[in-house]
Amino acid sequence: MMKHLGTGLLAGASCVALTVAMQVGSASVSFANDKLNELSKSNENWVMPGKNYSSQNYSPNTQISTENVKQLRAAWSFSTGLLHGHEGTPLVVNNVMYVHTSFPNNTFALDLNDPGHILWQHKPKQDPAARSVACCDLVNRGLAYWPGDGKTPALIIKTQLDAHLVALNAETGEEYWKVENGDIKVGQTLTQAPYVIKDLALVGSSGAELGVRGYTTAYNVKTGEQVWRVYATGPDNEVGLAADFNSANPHYGQKGLGTGTWEGDAWKIGGGTNWGWYAYDPETNLFHYGSGNPAPWNETMRPGDNKWTMTIWGRDADTGQAKFGYQKTPHDEWDYAGVNVMILSEQTDKAGKKRKLLTHPDRNGIVYTLDRENGDLVSANKLDDTVNWVKQVDLKSGLPVRDPEYGTRMDHKGKEICPSAMGYHNQGHDSYDPTKELFFMGINHICMDWEPFMLPYRAGQFFVGATLWMYPGPKGDRQNYLGLGQIKAYNAISGEYKWEKMERFSVWGGTLSTAGNLVFYGTLDGFIKARNSDTGELLWKYKLPSGVIGHPMTYEHKGTQYVAIMYGVGGWPGVGLVFDLQDPTAGLGAVGAFKNLQNYTQMGGGLQVFSLDGKNPYSEDINVGEFDSKG
Amino acid sequence: MTIKSIVTVAAGALVLAIGAGAAGAYDGTKCKAPGNCWEAKPGYPDKVAGSKYDPKHNPAELAKQQAALDGQDARNKKRAEHFKKTGKWVYDVSKL
Repeated sequence: MMKHLGTGLLAGASCVALTVAMQVGSASVSFANDKLNELSKSNENWVMPGKNYSSQNYSPNTQISTENVKQLRAAWSFSTGLLHGHEGTPLVVNNVMYVHTSFPNNTFALDLNDPGHILWQHKPKQDPAARSVACCDLVNRGLAYWPGDGKTPALIIKTQLDAHLVALNAETGEEYWKVENGDIKVGQTLTQAPYVIKDLALVGSSGAELGVRGYTTAYNVKTGEQVWRVYATGPDNEVGLAADFNSANPHYGQKGLGTGTWEGDAWKIGGGTNWGWYAYDPETNLFHYGSGNPAPWNETMRPGDNKWTMTIWGRDADTGQAKFGYQKTPHDEWDYAGVNVMILSEQTDKAGKKRKLLTHPDRNGIVYTLDRENGDLVSANKLDDTVNWVKQVDLKSGLPVRDPEYGTRMDHKGKEICPSAMGYHNQGHDSYDPTKELFFMGINHICMDWEPFMLPYRAGQFFVGATLWMYPGPKGDRQNYLGLGQIKAYNAISGEYKWEKMERFSVWGGTLSTAGNLVFYGTLDGFIKARNSDTGELLWKYKLPSGVIGHPMTYEHKGTQYVAIMYGVGGWPGVGLVFDLQDPTAGLGAVGAFKNLQNYTQMGGGLQVFSLDGKNPYSEDINVGEFDSKG
Repeated sequence: MTIKSIVTVAAGALVLAIGAGAAGAYDGTKCKAPGNCWEAKPGYPDKVAGSKYDPKHNPAELAKQQAALDGQDARNKKRAEHFKKTGKWVYDVSKL
């Protein structure tokens, strides 16, 4: 009895110790979350690419509104000094703006009291060979911020194309730590904006076009140590499937499929990289992202459903273990890489039940809404009625009902497939207005012909296996290769589009919505536009020095609301322009579709900031930024 | 051949025809098991190994990615351990 009691007491003591440790631990880690959350609530900050953990890209600021948006004028600008595509958006924290660039991935800290003053700059020296294994121009999608804890300084965390993850002291720009997260010799690169949860820096992977097996890794921000890594394909323990994986939806598939839906060892070079946007719910402690396309693009070479590529994940942030995974495009045949933005919302479904939702406009032309607590499929609607590879998504089974006419295979040239490999939506970071329950989505309107070919796998070499011809969708101007994009307002519960407008080129970069009843976005031909978010009416536009493939953001500084956007044409749609390519099938098919882009814009990267009447620190005090001989 | 066997053969042919028709109309909804719904398209092999579409993967090439990651992880571990001891991050592991 004593022994039993003793054991019980010891066990009890251990439990108490563990509980205390957990409380201490959670107090420490929740501090970082709480601090980021608090910072993100301020109109003065933009602490992550989607503004907050819900990735809504929505600002409650009403200073700039439908009533006065016509008065928006250039306030100040900043040249990054670099060419090529500038994706993503800058961060603003505590009166400092952090700007990222295309390769070689420089970072600049600008003083918002005197934005002409560069507080620090980080210019990494990278192996130039990294450029040759970049899939689609030399882009980078942005930065992450960790707020510091008094012992470890606040950090800016960045990716480099050569697959390094680097933490910089946010105050000085000095490298705090730098880890290898890939090797360009085997095709592994990084283009993603890292993501901070608690004391972890999360980062995905790029290189599926070179057969890279996708992975996601978490590093301790304080020490640079790896905490966990999970893969998109392979054995369950490496994919990181929790014991109750997909228990709410067993029909999605559960165990053994990361190898069982591949032939032989093809999963080792099976793609599923993730280089898009993450979202996180502190209440469920789940983070969400999408794994990308299987490799190679030639579907005949990889029989099977190819799990878990093309999957929407709900993973525990502390362990990486997956609670659910929903594969949108089993056995992809079109490169509909599933990495696009995840936007979190709380809405009432058709049955009247309040639910925690996740909405994801996918490359495959379907916009999915899931219950983010368990992966239940709530709605799955076409981004445009011209999507033809799939007839519908069966909400009960979760399966896309494919139209065999638009399937691809060896010894066959598929024609008029919509969307093209670029998807009806790509990496653009869209926005959600919670007061209107509307998603504002930048859309591609591009279709394609597709012809596969065989090729061997050689580590570090391109492993695609398909020739593509792209052209405007049915609503565009195929004669002149224009009408390649759309902008739409979508209700995920009703499935209805409140409004939609055609654009000359893809709306590649995404949108910003505000409580001023506005939606802002940039265009490939170099405009930033503002529309009435209720009606879609065009209210304001401004011609930028170069085309836009990033998304706008807004911040308030000393009582003035500013709107900022990066420009710098490039990315996948701009590869023909930036590398001066002529063959319409070059650039994985992009060159043909965007052959007219060069007649509207040219390269050159930078940042343009706007305010009402152009108000800025220099207009308020002309002495700001002047040389002071007294020091 | 009796009438009965003719009927049986005919029924079998019908089943085959339906099967072929189903494969011809591959729509991704006929699942062998939950999460396992792929079917070979008509005229294409269920397994590519040994077929004219065999990618003939070289196991040595297939092993290179993981080998690269393992090497990186080992170097990163040394860097982080040194950082925790000294407070200084040294990237060049030959200097550790």
